[in-house]
Amino acid sequence: MFGKILSADVRGIDGFGVSVEADISDGMPLFLMVGYLASEVREAGDRVRTALRNCGILLPPKRITVNLAPANVRKAGSKFDLPIAAALLAALGVLDPRELRGVLMAGELSLNGEIHGIPGILPMVETARNMGCTCCVVPKENLREAALVNGIQVLGAAHLKELLPAENPGKRGVFSALHSPEEESGRTDLLGEPSYGVDFSEINGQETVKRAAQVAVAGMHNFLMIGPPGSGKTMIAKRIPTILPPLTLEESLELSKIYSIAGLLPEKEPLIRERPFRGPHHTITPVALTGGGRIPMPGEISLGTNGVLFLDELPEFQKTALEVLRQPLEEGEVRICRSYGTYVYPARFMLVAAMNPCRCGYYPDFNLCTCGPGEVSRYLGRLSQPLLDRMDICAEAPRLSYEELVGKKDRETSARIRERMVRVHKLQRKRYQGSGYRFNSDLGGEGIEKFCPLGPKEEELLKNAFQRLHLSARACHRIIKVARTIADLEEATHIGREHLMEAICYRALDKKYWTR
Amino acid sequence: MEAYWYWICHELYLERVWARELLHCYGSPRAVFEAKEEDIKKRFPKKAIKYKEIFQRRRAWEPKRALEELKRAEIAFYSCAAREFPTLLKKMPDSPLGLFVRGSLPREGELTVAVVGARRCSSYGRMTAQSFGGILAQRGVGIISGMAAGVDGYAHRGALERGGVTYAVLGCGVDICYPGQNRDLYSAIPERGGLISEYPPGTPPLPRLFPLRNRLISGLSRAVLVVEARERSGSLITADLALDQGRDVFAVPGRIGDALSEGCNRLISQGAGIALSPEKFLEELGVEGAGKSPGEEKNKKSLESSEFLVYSCLGLQAQHIEEICRKTRLPLLQVMKILVSLEIKGCVCEVQKNYYSRDSVSSSKTEIY
Repeated sequence: MFGKILSADVRGIDGFGVSVEADISDGMPLFLMVGYLASEVREAGDRVRTALRNCGILLPPKRITVNLAPANVRKAGSKFDLPIAAALLAALGVLDPRELRGVLMAGELSLNGEIHGIPGILPMVETARNMGCTCCVVPKENLREAALVNGIQVLGAAHLKELLPAENPGKRGVFSALHSPEEESGRTDLLGEPSYGVDFSEINGQETVKRAAQVAVAGMHNFLMIGPPGSGKTMIAKRIPTILPPLTLEESLELSKIYSIAGLLPEKEPLIRERPFRGPHHTITPVALTGGGRIPMPGEISLGTNGVLFLDELPEFQKTALEVLRQPLEEGEVRICRSYGTYVYPARFMLVAAMNPCRCGYYPDFNLCTCGPGEVSRYLGRLSQPLLDRMDICAEAPRLSYEELVGKKDRETSARIRERMVRVHKLQRKRYQGSGYRFNSDLGGEGIEKFCPLGPKEEELLKNAFQRLHLSARACHRIIKVARTIADLEEATHIGREHLMEAICYRALDKKYWTR
Repeated sequence: MEAYWYWICHELYLERVWARELLHCYGSPRAVFEAKEEDIKKRFPKKAIKYKEIFQRRRAWEPKRALEELKRAEIAFYSCAAREFPTLLKKMPDSPLGLFVRGSLPREGELTVAVVGARRCSSYGRMTAQSFGGILAQRGVGIISGMAAGVDGYAHRGALERGGVTYAVLGCGVDICYPGQNRDLYSAIPERGGLISEYPPGTPPLPRLFPLRNRLISGLSRAVLVVEARERSGSLITADLALDQGRDVFAVPGRIGDALSEGCNRLISQGAGIALSPEKFLEELGVEGAGKSPGEEKNKKSLESSEFLVYSCLGLQAQHIEEICRKTRLPLLQVMKILVSLEIKGCVCEVQKNYYSRDSVSSSKTEIY
């Protein structure tokens, strides 16, 4: 007897279909599993056999073969327990093979037949929909998450017995005992106002850095803050996600998929509604940053997609950890190669970094700074110029005076600033439609020529600045991009002199001039 | 004879007293070189063990060839007996046995001034050093300093920028560039002055060599100007040495409470000259026509009223943008724009990210329309 059911595995953030086949035929009693399986999939055999027996189904002493196709792709994870059980039940004749057509299953079994949740449900259900399946059976724990996908019926199973007709007398149809998603967990309440618990209006003083942060957010520019300890750099960084425009549905689903694969999606709130803020400690390894492992998992840069990756104490990070950021910053995705395939995870994050001006943190205040002559340049020397080249905006936070610390002025709330950012982002989306760019920060040399033309007056200003301030060609490009964003903030069609001037003010100092 | 002097400078640059005794004993450097090992041991029994290696190396030393090799490396050598050896140094108490030079030595009778100060200087020290170095050099004064990081380096840079002559006295061999960040100076100075050292080529920059070279900085100059110095710093050692050598000492005044100006202010309270401006300083040095500054025409710049407002708020101490905003009561964005336009006009400079100061001392005299 032969039984077959669909399942799916995930590579990168996308799923692919796996068909699970079971065959029971005469011969020496044997339970054989084939199909390029990782050891946890191989162990599924023991789990499934025991779970079935504990649900009252004994496997006959025959030659049982289970195959996971396509056989040339490695399969990993515990998600195949449930489909293997279902395929065996179909082969035994317990389930009607016709009812299993167009059904995708995934879930982990415990020995008593309970079904546990698994990571990566969201991309799997999406795969099911794209393959034309009509129904998905997932662990009940993952039901809310699965219900996020439109256009496919999802059902939750808490126990293997719910699938057995003999255990559910009086119910018609194979899946009638399964749970349907609750109505309210549907997509209706998806995109409410995000709540972050912190607000931009809580920041005292630091007008320069605050303005620079807003410009950075408006064009999704990478942002570097320099300042003595306690000047509020981390505080500002934590509030940057609150002024980013709310996630769109696509962004939100993409992000949820990444978190689903990483197993970080909370059961109660399966959709990520807030922009992520990832602030890894500076001891982080390069692999934890990019993602990796034997079976590659998304790293911090992917978990910060559509949000903020905050690197506090930038020079304290391992050199290699910082250098691996360069390629994802350029390409918006990270590729992890393994002998059995390449995994691609999205990594379109806004990089926000903070650092002290020197080891003790008080340079250039010579009455407080205790660093020796070479120490300041050695401290800054830990950053490579290519990384600094990717920081579009740079601002220094001064030490706060007492008046600023306690001063209570009417400050803009995150919600007000966010409205402005929504407008600017919309403007950019419209401008870059069909060009492959998303934000001003994405512009390359060609894009700058096409989308950021300068008038003769502005050209003159830039030329003067270039010569006088010893700018590099790269710095010039960055200034134009940032000027474009500042012009967008004022909803001006052309880049004006004043926009350029403000942008020049945000330029990162070239290391050569910085360390002297 | 220079060849034997070279050998003495090569081996005994740290033992000048003993070297003099040896010379006195044997009469000439050649006689010292050719003296029997046993003979020297007998006369100076205490030194014998310590200088066993010197005797060993002496066997392989060929004086003529060594001097030729030095010439091939474009390093000139002047012993204290040579005609070219600066008279100023000859009169000095602990004068060096010889000098290694890349480039040239100060001419006899050339007016030279030493500009020294802290290695880790503030923007104030940097601006002052650069403009004093520049303006003095422009008026034909040779600027002498130690090519260290900070004030020393900026004094050299100022002189080179204005086409002046400048000499660097090093604490290592003249074939070694130390500190590495001053590589630009190291390659530019020999063409417009000279790199000078009493240490033979190949001597690494050892900490104990630097205080000794300070006596040459002051010794080679007519006056010493201390730009920024902490209490108990190397620059004050130079100032003390200068007084011992009978040179004039001047100091650039600073604000009280600034750690970096404490040394300078102390010097002034002890009677050092006050360097109020490069022009005043030139007058004190007795340079003719010091009051006028011929090359300053280009400094006339036209500023708008708001630019002038911001400019007049700035000093040589770097200030953060927000401080400037508070002082001028102008909105942040406007101040940013004004600062950038002033920067492009060359009136202010961004010392550190978002910290601004005036570009140079002389531009405080900029006429503004």
